[in-house]
Amino acid sequence: MSNIDIKRPANRSTTSGSDVIEGGTRALVRYLIAMGLAFLPLALLLGDPHWVNILAFTYLMGGVAAAWNIIGGFGGQFSLAHGVFFGIGAYFTAALVIRFGWSPWLITLPIALIAALVATLISWPTFRLRGPFFAIATLAFNEVAFVIANHADSLTGGPRGLMVPFKAGLENMIFRERWQYALLMFCFAAMVIGACVLLRRTRLGYYLLAVREDEDAARAAGIDVLRVKLSGMAISAALTSIGGTLFAMYLRFIDPPTLFTLTDVGVKFALIALIGGVGTIYGPLLGAALIIPFESWLRADFTSDLPGFSQALLGLLMVLAALFMKRGIVGVWTHWRESRTLRKQAKGDLS
Amino acid sequence: MSAELLLDARGVSKHFAGLKAVSDVNLQVHRGEIVSVIGPNGAGKTTLFNLLTGQLAPTAGDVCFLGETVNRLPPHRRARMGMGRTFQIAKPLIALNVLENVMIGAFLHDASLSRSRDKAMAVLERVGMANLAARKAGELTLSERRRLEVARALALEPKIVLLDEVMAGLNQAEVAREIELLRGLHAEGLTFLIIEHNLKVVRAFSDRVIVLDRGELIAEGSADDILNSPKVIAAYLGAGHMGSSAEQSATESKEASR
Repeated sequence: MSNIDIKRPANRSTTSGSDVIEGGTRALVRYLIAMGLAFLPLALLLGDPHWVNILAFTYLMGGVAAAWNIIGGFGGQFSLAHGVFFGIGAYFTAALVIRFGWSPWLITLPIALIAALVATLISWPTFRLRGPFFAIATLAFNEVAFVIANHADSLTGGPRGLMVPFKAGLENMIFRERWQYALLMFCFAAMVIGACVLLRRTRLGYYLLAVREDEDAARAAGIDVLRVKLSGMAISAALTSIGGTLFAMYLRFIDPPTLFTLTDVGVKFALIALIGGVGTIYGPLLGAALIIPFESWLRADFTSDLPGFSQALLGLLMVLAALFMKRGIVGVWTHWRESRTLRKQAKGDLS
Repeated sequence: MSAELLLDARGVSKHFAGLKAVSDVNLQVHRGEIVSVIGPNGAGKTTLFNLLTGQLAPTAGDVCFLGETVNRLPPHRRARMGMGRTFQIAKPLIALNVLENVMIGAFLHDASLSRSRDKAMAVLERVGMANLAARKAGELTLSERRRLEVARALALEPKIVLLDEVMAGLNQAEVAREIELLRGLHAEGLTFLIIEHNLKVVRAFSDRVIVLDRGELIAEGSADDILNSPKVIAAYLGAGHMGSSAEQSATESKEASR
């Protein structure tokens, strides 16, 4: 066709598809290294209950933010309703464990399916809205869930909340040591991120990206946009609900303000993913590793003097991240690496 | 025409609150044909395209594809039936690289990552973009973006491709390259329906030309007949410019409007 491309000399003589799309083995190695790094702090700080607690929450929130990232980052649908799915996981688990004494392990997946179903039902109408309108609509669902949790006393205990009795044992998902919980949370984060690695290598994963980038172009490529969004939302909600189950079993006490205060759930999941790198695989966990310890430090040192200070600061961070780091820390890092490669190429061309 | 009828618009109209964007247009495209739609700005060409591809539903009339009435089918269903398209304003998926953009099309018939990747690579080689496979789509030049749209449409293994001004804004060398590519694809059996402002392209590259003006089909015929027709010249520049040929006038009007 054209052997001479004047504007842009081909920088590789032969390109094959496998050079461009990361191979499965490489993706697996990368995943294992990342999980090894993520596990390192827990291994080092195992003896410090204060830090183990922070790490447990870091893993949990990192995992949930990664779950949010499936629809919020890959799919580009900025959901603020994920507190609802987290709450479904937490409330159903606590209620069923208290009433029937069932093992949390056995009910986690059925509850996740319920969350996926609810997610599909509430997304069906809202996915017709685009951009900020979608975000605002999903925000409302969180408030609805708050009201339901407050008023459905028989199921949720209302404002008094639910207390899961302490019966230590693996089968009850209740442990004596904090590090055991932290290990559980780590496994959760590793599972969610593993799911993201896999998803990113499937047709659905690519379709989510296509839908995020341009819905009309996606349709022209034969993509059923609504169906792809609903699938992404369902998977995301199910994984979020599992996080809710673990949260309930760790705290063993839940009430509406803990689960449905927007800045502690829906907005925070998004914030963590945003800071770490929205739409990236490891960004959400990285974001959690920064936000959760930072927040815990803020709470400990400032809350007594200045109520709301930590939330104001986190809000400010979110604004800054949205303004200056559209792809979060991971985005800044890849951008730096790409520009370094380009600089090297440019130098090579000149010499 | 003995060849199979692929696309058949019967009396298709689209009205937007009183504005007749497209009225009562009949249009047929047979397998192996290249049909061009021309007309002045605002003649309803893109609206007609959107009716054919399913972005819009017709106010009246029927759109038939492969013998089926597809009026109610959304764009993705028509794409699955074999209708590929490009957009007037190219829509590259800018966060993805060139190969991934084409894979999005290739996934239609095969969920496998590696097979879709190989197929997308083959399409990129066919359109002469294999050397750009790893480049982010957002970094492409205008002509590369347009070509990427064509590649993504080709990966769908379409029966017909609708091209909405793929030549607009390209320089002469790029236009020549594009025509060469499209001719090659046509020789391999692909059918095209194109919207084109560049009448040189229309003349060089179409079996049949359809002229739209204010939403109505005012002429249909071979490229030579159409481009010398007084009616068409009048539509492009108004009745006062009957002296010059449509080709010149259209080019001038295009330039004047920029």
